Amino acid sequence: MDIDAILLSLKLALWTLALILPFGIWVAHKLQKAGKSKSWLEAGLALPLVLPPTVLGYYLLIGLGGKSFLGIPLVFSFTGILIASLIVNLPFAIQPIQRAFEAINPEIIEAAQVSGLSDWQIFRLIELPLAWRGITSAAVLTFAHTLGEFGVILMVGGAIPGETKTVSIAIYDKVQSFDTASAGVLSLILLGTSLIAIAISYGIFGRQPSHPPERVS
Amino acid sequence: MLKIKLSQTIPNPLQLNLECTSGELHALVGPSGSGKTTALRTIAGLSNAQTGSIECGGELWYEADEINGITTSLCPAERSCGFLFQQYALFPHLSALENVCIPLYNSVSESGERQAQARQWLNRMGIVELANRVPNQLSGGQQQRVALARALARSPKILLLDEPFSAVDAPTRQGLYKTLAELRKDLNIPILLVTHDLREADLLADRITVIDQGVGLQTAPPKVLFERPRNSRVAELVGINNKFEGVFNAGRLTWNGCQKIFEVMDKGKIPPHTPVAWVIPADGLSLHQQASASSIEAYVEQISLLGQIAVIQLLLNNATHILTWEASAAEVKRLGLEVGKNTHVQIDGSKIHIMPLRSINDPRRFTS
Repeated sequence: MDIDAILLSLKLALWTLALILPFGIWVAHKLQKAGKSKSWLEAGLALPLVLPPTVLGYYLLIGLGGKSFLGIPLVFSFTGILIASLIVNLPFAIQPIQRAFEAINPEIIEAAQVSGLSDWQIFRLIELPLAWRGITSAAVLTFAHTLGEFGVILMVGGAIPGETKTVSIAIYDKVQSFDTASAGVLSLILLGTSLIAIAISYGIFGRQPSHPPERVS
Repeated sequence: MLKIKLSQTIPNPLQLNLECTSGELHALVGPSGSGKTTALRTIAGLSNAQTGSIECGGELWYEADEINGITTSLCPAERSCGFLFQQYALFPHLSALENVCIPLYNSVSESGERQAQARQWLNRMGIVELANRVPNQLSGGQQQRVALARALARSPKILLLDEPFSAVDAPTRQGLYKTLAELRKDLNIPILLVTHDLREADLLADRITVIDQGVGLQTAPPKVLFERPRNSRVAELVGINNKFEGVFNAGRLTWNGCQKIFEVMDKGKIPPHTPVAWVIPADGLSLHQQASASSIEAYVEQISLLGQIAVIQLLLNNATHILTWEASAAEVKRLGLEVGKNTHVQIDGSKIHIMPLRSINDPRRFTS
């Protein structure tokens, strides 16, 4: 069993989650008041959903190769696949949160305004707890999707053990070398992890309407 | 004291000037879409008028004119407004107690003190035992009380009530009327109530402003409004049934379609031979079995019994006019009123109120 690949996939998924969730919450919140440009922004953010992974991978390979925007080559490195993972997961992170914010009755926000809360307090005490389900869904989707991402990661990172060879790529490698037993074990682990993530989302957070991050009383 | 002067043409027209003193309950009454809620939202800072000013407790909340645009505009959080929303707008993820704690979040830093104050408000509303329930575990009336406690917890300078009684059943409404009446005595702040229910406004308000198409048509105490509407549109909106037309000439009113002439009082503002609308309040009408020199013969067309109240529809002057009269069932019996029979109506000229007759599109109807 390829422990390194499992650990690398978990590392990638957790880093992706840690970076994309705050960004996703911020973007989803801003999108509510985006005005006329909203449709264009939404379309742009949803592009990774419809773009073939190889096409997205190709552009990232070009964009992150050479000196890239950070001044150093990022392809075939963990940072490179992390950036690719962040871009690929944008729609999975933003859309559920955006839908959750949009589902909040505007009168509730107005009631918070006339209750004397600042915009930041309204966000923290009212909107964020009410959007909690959407945020959980986004986290689960992003986590599960990152574990299973194959095409873009392969294009950008190749298959360097311990650096860019994630579980999905390891499964592909095992199958290529006719090691179906190991491929089966890794697939089962991936299946189990995804199942647990979905079960957590539906089973635990799904039953509770929402819960506030901070008590207000 | 609240002083507002609002003017806008888009998105919804609004022309409203009113003052509401401390301790006064002022009702804004008008049909759906007349701009009542827009006015309330503008006062709270949830929307802005194009021009005008809002002053409350000596503090300028909003000021804008056509030349300089908006010069002052406090955000809703800075306006110290208690706002009771029509659908309560309680925070669904917070308990009743936490809902009432929210307005205290910035003014009371200590959590225990915040809870104590919120609990006091819930106690005052008679629902302290429900403090730990979330809104969806509360009935409509209970939610209403939590919303009222939340609106008042901040000790606002003004209380704005947006159709607060429309979504609750009749017994709950009666209880809320009582609560509001008790609160009024203690609060001593201007209270603005938006309602389309005239009976409710009559029952609760010190003064009523009638709004139509965003324009404040008349502000008056309920009794004055019902007896002396400023114009025929106000009469229509306050539900005065007995409205007729005639010609006024130097203290004498000729009723169109009949030979009857009434001696009526006016303020000398109406020029001679002016077509007018006129109304007669219920206490200016009486029915008699016997005819007299000043009575008019009437044909009883319909008697509708509503519990102990009877609404009688009479045809007068060869069926050219319809008069509606409300009486107790006992009175109907005493007068021997029956459908198809004749009776005699006495109209007290001193109770007649005359108004200029203007079309709905005439802008002067708002100012007369």
